[in-house]
Amino acid sequence: MTRLADPPTGNDNVIDVNGLGIEFYRSRRRKLSLREMVLRRENTSSKETFWALKDISFSVGPGEAVGLVGSNGGGKSTLLKAIAGVLLPDEGSVGVSGGVAPLIELTGGFLGELTARENVVLVAGLHGLDKQAIAERFDSIVDFAGPQVRQGLDMPFRHFSSGMQVRLGFALITTLDEPIVLVDEVLAVGDKDFREKCYERMESLLSEGRTLFLVSHSEPDLRRFCTRGLYLKSGRLAADGSMDEILDLYNAKPG
Amino acid sequence: MIERYRGIWARKAVLNTLVRRDLRVRYARSWLGYLWTIIDPLAMALIYFVVFAVIFKRPDAGHKPYFLFLLLGLLPWQWFNASINESARALVAEARLVRSTNLPRELWVIRVVIAKGVEFLLSLPVLFAFAAVYVAKGDTTLNWRLILFPVGLLLQGVLQTGIGLLLAPATVLADDTIRVVRIVLRMLFYGTPIIYTLNIAPEWLQRVLWFNPLSGILELYRAGFFSTPLQVQPLIAGTLMSVGLLVWGAIAFARMERAVLKEI
Repeated sequence: MTRLADPPTGNDNVIDVNGLGIEFYRSRRRKLSLREMVLRRENTSSKETFWALKDISFSVGPGEAVGLVGSNGGGKSTLLKAIAGVLLPDEGSVGVSGGVAPLIELTGGFLGELTARENVVLVAGLHGLDKQAIAERFDSIVDFAGPQVRQGLDMPFRHFSSGMQVRLGFALITTLDEPIVLVDEVLAVGDKDFREKCYERMESLLSEGRTLFLVSHSEPDLRRFCTRGLYLKSGRLAADGSMDEILDLYNAKPG
Repeated sequence: MIERYRGIWARKAVLNTLVRRDLRVRYARSWLGYLWTIIDPLAMALIYFVVFAVIFKRPDAGHKPYFLFLLLGLLPWQWFNASINESARALVAEARLVRSTNLPRELWVIRVVIAKGVEFLLSLPVLFAFAAVYVAKGDTTLNWRLILFPVGLLLQGVLQTGIGLLLAPATVLADDTIRVVRIVLRMLFYGTPIIYTLNIAPEWLQRVLWFNPLSGILELYRAGFFSTPLQVQPLIAGTLMSVGLLVWGAIAFARMERAVLKEI
């Protein structure tokens, strides 16, 4: 079970993953139609499953920057989701102390019909900021997202270009106070200038002592931010070491 | 289980935000906005009034005045109908948010019940305006049992939360749930004493209708507006069923949650 936000106690780790396993159905999305439920007692789709993650154990201390490495389908995103608490373990446990700022689906909470201004207030509220905190941070969020976004603040969000939407999402999530930041390949979006801004923001988050979890296929990004690497291979934790070691290992034996 | 619900309570600010968002979206795009909440039940009440009081001339169709009686059934029904329909889709419709935020997932259902409940509350001034007119004309009198009105409100909220907690994950796991819900709701409209009173149904049917939790809930709403004696059996059955459904829903929701998160 995912622990709720406990205050850090004697145990200093901010993330404790223990024997984590998550099982998915292989054949098709495990959707039963009612006809199947009613007419046949058995589920007709095959019961064949696979473990997207299996026997994963590690812990992360405060302020660590961890890069997740592995080929497609290795379970990187699944692991990130389990830490974010949006997937529940089938086996083992994921313990997270303190909140998580998930840079996973950046524009997840935004609604096309509402203006950007309304969206910022509502989404920040969803992530637990109170009114006062939102008011204090509103300008810095919009500044970070850039002048184009500022001009369109009272425009419905769906009229924004996708790049602008992502900028606003990134700006918002990274101003949250959560001690753990999860980043899933979002750095690939945005133009060069914005990407540079994202890098700066992430570095400043790291210097504030936040814990960073980064999924990326970009080696320079991984080397730039991460000190520690985890190598996931078909759902198993193949190696855990310094970022450079892990990348060397990954490059030596791709797949 | 208790811990889960403590978690939900801790996020009531988020719930507040979500409800506001729902209401804002609902009123952002339509010109008539708030009026829609009223136009629909008023139009339906007018139709049933014309059919049963004018065309069929049934003096025993409901309590007098019949139009007020209809409104007291149709407004809560509108809340029920909208809340069940939308809470069945609560997780599917917000899939992106469910996938990206670690909030107690029950919130997505509760927020629908509350947002629709706020719309119901907003429609009540119309009800009281009609009641005031009928009282002024001497067609009916209000009585102390009006205090049962909020009890009905609470019980209906409990009922809808329970059903919503059952349906929302079921919809994620089986697409057809939505269609079944739609048909059942249409049948249930006539299986609920909205356009008729319980006691004009045949004896055996009355016994069946007691076990529609809405029968008891409508009794509570109507008690303060009409002087007819309160029927106790549907009240007891309705209360037990509403609470039972909430407990069942909460347990089933927690059980299905893991599978739901993988599918969504």
